[in-house]
Amino acid sequence: MKDSHSLSNSTALRDETVLRRVRQLGSARDGLREWRLQRWTAIALVPLGLYFVISMLRLATSDQITAAAWLGSPVAALLIILFMLAGLLHALIGLRSVFADYVHTRARLVAAELLVRGATVIIAGASAMAVLKLFLAK
Amino acid sequence: MDRPLSPFMLPKWYRFQITSLLSILHRLGGIALAVGSIMLAWWLIAVAAGGEVFAATHAFIASPIGVLLLFGWSVAFFYHLCNGIRHLAWDAGYGFEIRTAYRSGYAVLAATVVLTVLAWLYVLLA
Repeated sequence: MKDSHSLSNSTALRDETVLRRVRQLGSARDGLREWRLQRWTAIALVPLGLYFVISMLRLATSDQITAAAWLGSPVAALLIILFMLAGLLHALIGLRSVFADYVHTRARLVAAELLVRGATVIIAGASAMAVLKLFLAK
Repeated sequence: MDRPLSPFMLPKWYRFQITSLLSILHRLGGIALAVGSIMLAWWLIAVAAGGEVFAATHAFIASPIGVLLLFGWSVAFFYHLCNGIRHLAWDAGYGFEIRTAYRSGYAVLAATVVLTVLAWLYVLLA
């Protein structure tokens, strides 16, 4: 059984799986990946988010020099970058599930996906650059 | 077909319930926080740039609109955090009884109010 499975997997069955995907028949078999990633990022965001909020509250009335000094410290720089990445990934998955529920034409769905994916990459890149600049300047 | 679509079923076809209301607020809060990531990125860039960019950003944040936005994001953050923990408990299989779901819902609302008030008291007294 094992042999026939691997044989068919490398030839006939694999083609059938591909055809099934093309025809959108049944599961693509990785449906749980995003669900799990949303939960893992959620768990990570509990401590990271609390650290972020407490930091922001302490910086609330501070000037640029204090904020730059704080963001330049290795622990703060690392944790803020991690907070931003986990948060953006979590947000991307969440926004995609909103689109899946409320965007009903293919063209609009593609446009919405492109917009949020592009925005996510830009926001993540720009934030990381800003924090790294402050960290490396110290 | 013009079938009603959740959550737009709410006032007309569905009665308001705390459970469905909190579920909708979880999504709305999440969307608000996603938009807020733009503001956070902008602020990080402003700190890194310094000078006039930081001054302009700081002036916007301290303006009435800026403070209102920050207040909204703080409510959304604390709500989404507390209700997110409620969701993680559900994912782990706990708290599905209707009584428990209602109680945890009210607990999330209470925690959101307490955390928001504490945060803004800290800012105002600092």
